[in-house]
Amino acid sequence: MTAAPAPAPAGALRPGFRLALRPRFRRRELGLLLVVSVALIAGRISLGVTQRAAAARLAGDSGPVAIVVPTDLAILAAYVGVLFAAHLALVLAGRRTDQILLPTVGMLGGIGLLLMERLPQTLAGSLGGLARTQLVWLVLSFALITALAVAVRNDAWLRRYKYTWAAVGVGLLLLAFVFGRDVNGARLGIAIGPLTGQPSELLKVILVVFLAGYLSENRSLLVEESTRIGPFSVPPLPYLAPMVAMWAMALGIVVVQRDLGAALLFFLVFLLLLYVATARVSYVVLGVAAALIGGAILYSRLGYVQTRVDVWLNPFADAQGAGFQIVQALHAFARGGLIGTGLGAGLPTIGGRPPIPALHTDFPFAALGEELGLVGILAILGLYLVVIERGLRIAATAPDEFRAILAAGLSLVVGVQAFIIAAGNLKLVPLTGITLPFVSYGGSSLLANGLVVGLLIALSERGAELPPPGPRRGRLARLGRLVDRGAP
Amino acid sequence: MDPALLVVWILRLLFLGLLYAFLWSVVRVLMRDLRSASKGPATALGRLVVLASPSGEPPVGAAFSLDAVVTLGRDVNNSIVLEDEFVSTTHARLTFRGRAWYVEDAGSTNGTFVNGSRIDTISPLAFGDEVQIGQVRLRLDRARP
Amino acid sequence: MTADSSSLGRRIPIGTALGRVGLALAVAFGALAAGAGYWQVFRSTDLSSSPDDAGVIAASRHVLRGVITDRDGKRLAWNVRDKNGEPFRMYASPALSGVLGYASRQWGNSGLERAWDAQLSGAASADPLYDLTRKFRTDPADPEALKTTLVLQLQQAAVKALGSNRGAVVMLDPRTGEILAMASTPTFDASAIANPATSDKAFRALQADPSLPLLPRATQGRYVPGSIFKIVTATAALSSGAITPATTFAQQPPAEKNGLLVSGFRVHDGHHLFTGSEAMNFDQAVEVSCNIYFALSGLKAGGEAMSTWAARFGFGDSIPFDLPTAASQVTGGGGSFGGGFEDDVELANAAYGQGETLVTPLQMALVASAVANGGILMTPHLVLSATGRTASTTISPTVWRQVMQPDIAGEITNAMKLAVNSAWGRIFTSGARVSGLTVAGKSGTAELDPGNKPHSWFIGFAPADNPQIAIAVIVEHGAHEVRASPLAGDLFRAWRAWANT
Repeated sequence: MTAAPAPAPAGALRPGFRLALRPRFRRRELGLLLVVSVALIAGRISLGVTQRAAAARLAGDSGPVAIVVPTDLAILAAYVGVLFAAHLALVLAGRRTDQILLPTVGMLGGIGLLLMERLPQTLAGSLGGLARTQLVWLVLSFALITALAVAVRNDAWLRRYKYTWAAVGVGLLLLAFVFGRDVNGARLGIAIGPLTGQPSELLKVILVVFLAGYLSENRSLLVEESTRIGPFSVPPLPYLAPMVAMWAMALGIVVVQRDLGAALLFFLVFLLLLYVATARVSYVVLGVAAALIGGAILYSRLGYVQTRVDVWLNPFADAQGAGFQIVQALHAFARGGLIGTGLGAGLPTIGGRPPIPALHTDFPFAALGEELGLVGILAILGLYLVVIERGLRIAATAPDEFRAILAAGLSLVVGVQAFIIAAGNLKLVPLTGITLPFVSYGGSSLLANGLVVGLLIALSERGAELPPPGPRRGRLARLGRLVDRGAP
Repeated sequence: MDPALLVVWILRLLFLGLLYAFLWSVVRVLMRDLRSASKGPATALGRLVVLASPSGEPPVGAAFSLDAVVTLGRDVNNSIVLEDEFVSTTHARLTFRGRAWYVEDAGSTNGTFVNGSRIDTISPLAFGDEVQIGQVRLRLDRARP
Repeated sequence: MTADSSSLGRRIPIGTALGRVGLALAVAFGALAAGAGYWQVFRSTDLSSSPDDAGVIAASRHVLRGVITDRDGKRLAWNVRDKNGEPFRMYASPALSGVLGYASRQWGNSGLERAWDAQLSGAASADPLYDLTRKFRTDPADPEALKTTLVLQLQQAAVKALGSNRGAVVMLDPRTGEILAMASTPTFDASAIANPATSDKAFRALQADPSLPLLPRATQGRYVPGSIFKIVTATAALSSGAITPATTFAQQPPAEKNGLLVSGFRVHDGHHLFTGSEAMNFDQAVEVSCNIYFALSGLKAGGEAMSTWAARFGFGDSIPFDLPTAASQVTGGGGSFGGGFEDDVELANAAYGQGETLVTPLQMALVASAVANGGILMTPHLVLSATGRTASTTISPTVWRQVMQPDIAGEITNAMKLAVNSAWGRIFTSGARVSGLTVAGKSGTAELDPGNKPHSWFIGFAPADNPQIAIAVIVEHGAHEVRASPLAGDLFRAWRAWANT
């Protein structure tokens, strides 16, 4: 929907980003952040005590163990500081945005940070330790969230250039196809100097932006001009092309990048957004059918797809070989039981190595399952549901369809990703190599998810009710105000 | 019992407890939010009733519940689609500001008329007023409770 | 934007669609919760107690095996942690390799470490109540510390005495059956096998070593006994009544020069140089180790008696002992001459420790022990007590069986006393005599196939009138160069030094 108030005086800017200082208290957010901080600090102290007690026992020392060691809390204190700094920035900016997303995501990030502090620091290679690196990326991620939440006021830059975004996305994908390196056999990263990035993380955001623009624009056509084949409605043929392109892209990712998780994520988000836009179940059914057919073809042709599915169906058959990872993950859940072994007390090392490979990237869910138990796992699932609920709520109260679909897509991208990897860890779906948002180790993942959450908060601005028009102000001023609010 | 062990147990329970305290307070907010939201949209801000529509689309007598921002025009993506050859693609916009309705022309070819007079700036629209867009006449009514 | 009129196309409001998507996701996450509940509650016990579980494996790798000490409390085997915090075994001395064996994660266990593995690793507990409550404990292992019957300094003395020769030594207390030393050379460094860093290399080298250091010779080495077997023959002949200590054989003196003819086979002797053609009685026959006397005694006693009485010592079967033992034999068996012997030639040869007789050093030490203890053979054992966290088990000496009547034991003791201390005896057992200690014993030189030097043996006990230590020594292929008798003498002295502290 592009309503351009004509005539637009030459030279008028369309400020999409604006910084204004209008402090407004965000009491709920503050209260929740306090709970988050105390919880995380309690967790960190318990981790410290557990680790020191274990070391003492190993050395045969049976004396008392120090409970609070200040250096223990350094990294966590920095993180909590960042959270409050973000809160302060939002308070100063004074926008009436969602107050629940920041604490929720802060809690998730904090749990991830605790896990990184608990794991052996050498898992991250040479960049200075697992926890420190994760902290740096978390700081950058929250800085991004804050920046977007404060400054993004107009979504025109997102909705106008949807085909540009699509092109950027395809470009990224091709870049990954051509220049990507094989990391751990499945994931593909692009290396720039010492840093490796995963384009699929950024791609998912670009995809959602494109889909939001495309679907909101063509919503009516998709709904009303469908052709009926028996009980099913098929989207009008000209609009089928982008859909098929999506399907092909997903399959392409699986084949070329061997990234089953990203393909699954893209396709699921696409189908769900299609349903949100058109409310036609038959489209979704068709999409699922196409996916199953594609999946079946891939299963019969690609060895590694076969392995993944076979291992999913019966991992215990090859518990020492292909099924090793998932079997170890299930054992970790079993050892956790109802309330877990406690942070730092689980994950028995054999020969100095943790029992599950790729623990910090692919299996943080299993690690948390072992140490926090079923109780902790349900809480973490709850946290993701909160993010999804907030996102969908923002979508439901959005003033127009583009924002609605965009907000829905953004929240789905986080929620569905969490679902896929958690389900993979629990053997409910085949295991994939995607990250658990905000908890897994990985800079690209944290930045991309930060981008998502930042946009969501920005989009959640409770339309300040439009103020009544003042007496005969200049056109320029009126236009400025209108454009400011990104009115449709 | 080893005092360190006791401390660890207390801290573990504290951590899990606070995690759930967080979720509990969030869920309370969410429930309140949803409840008010389910009540909210029901109280529409107004209705637009079709008085005259030569083309038949929308049919005479049709009533639309209004949101805070309503666009009218021929384009299919408008909030209210008016299929009339004298209606522009995006013709007019109705906005609810403060406590009252306002109407403005969105750059149409043939202009927007309120109670017979053409409007050139954003103008207030009271309940009962009639708006003419192309050959379609609509009246703003209060929302049905 | 909602439309009341239905003819405006079915535009289901986005809000409803979003609600349905939200519901779908909630259901999906509910499935996740159910899945988590399945693995974390329903399958929790069976997965976490399975032997492939990392927790179970790690616990077994972190178990601190019970410390093994000698009877004086000196540490023989204990635990050291590697860089990952996982413990591995360390041993006081390679001298212990023949009896303690090794405990290695990679190569398993051997020796005493293996025999008592359940107690040392804590899989079994000394406290029966502990076993019942095991499930509810955070630390399910209760490793028990073993106090052995061994004496570290005697063990080291035995290995030192054997030097670079292959052989074995067994020293035990005949009154209780407690083994004070059980050495087998060549020894090996069990600590190198237990240490994960050197384990691979060390073990493979030992496996490839032609001198078979991994073979516990004391319990599983089977050797031709030679003249020490005459003690068994003596037991059989005296107990069955075939001879008395006063018996002499008319055929013996004339046979000295050219040997005793037994069905075409000549039994030779070596003592006529200084005994001439004197007829030997029992004592003298033992003193000079007269093959002909014993061949005749054996023939007179008969194969049946030989086998029966040898069986009472433990021949023909494995010995009830902590470690696995090879069975000693009097004959290869299968013959119909009585007692499994083929014919009288074999019986005659067996009577003086040749033929098809094969013995283990432990078996011969038990022979000495039975004689020393008035004919009552105590069950040999290596462990005095096993102590867990809350309870302790003590092993008391038990009688295995009565091998012979006390008076016969006395007669044999007498003869063995002379064999070490008398003028004639000293020629054969020189070195075994210890001043201030009356040693009773018998030496032996076991003839092997031509081309192989004979083994040198000694069995004995001391003090003769109140025996407290019984010994068996073998030096493989020692012949007349490295003889077992002086080694035994050294070891008696070492024992005396230890016993007097």
